[in-house]
Amino acid sequence: MTAIYKVSYVVVGETHPGAILNTDHKPAVGDHITLGGREFIVLEIVDLMPARGEFHFLHATLRPTPA
Amino acid sequence: MDLWPVLSKVELFEGLTPPELTDVAGICSQREYRTGQVITTQGEAGGELFVICDGFVEVVVNPSGQNPAPRTVVHLGRGQLFGEMALVDYGPRSATVKSIADHTLIQAIDRDDFNRLCEANHHLGFIVMRNMAADLSFKLRHYHLTGR
Repeated sequence: MTAIYKVSYVVVGETHPGAILNTDHKPAVGDHITLGGREFIVLEIVDLMPARGEFHFLHATLRPTPA
Repeated sequence: MDLWPVLSKVELFEGLTPPELTDVAGICSQREYRTGQVITTQGEAGGELFVICDGFVEVVVNPSGQNPAPRTVVHLGRGQLFGEMALVDYGPRSATVKSIADHTLIQAIDRDDFNRLCEANHHLGFIVMRNMAADLSFKLRHYHLTGR
């Protein structure tokens, strides 16, 4: 069974609306991710709800990477 | 296009049997959008549910008395759904949704086809409605966290 991670991304420090998407890899603190052509760094990851089947539900806090 | 591998990775359909997924695939209609193309418009009638298979969309709430400027509330990517509110409550679209990536691939599901499938197979109907409620709950939790 392949895990699928449904992630709620929230950006701190600016007015970015955040994003929700599925990914095959569990994000980790320090990861760099790209949303809408912009790069962010992961500050925090928490489980938002218990997993159901192969789906895991996570919340990630992001901040923009320095230009 | 064989939709089974795509639909099996969408939370809305988690828990369906392979034959049930095949039935769902039978009522899906694939659409592709470019950056800036509007998919749903706030206030208009809507009779379809949308599942994002690839790309990104932006959900924008247009001006109201309390919020005078259009406000982007979230970006949605692969595996997410939108349009479900109008599907279940028959109300007008609650937001404008537009593609923010080229080649955004979407599966559209017509309300009448969806209701027929749910009524013909109550297991399928229960699973999909449960998952739809869980998705709305997830979106609400996300919205709450954006205001931390």
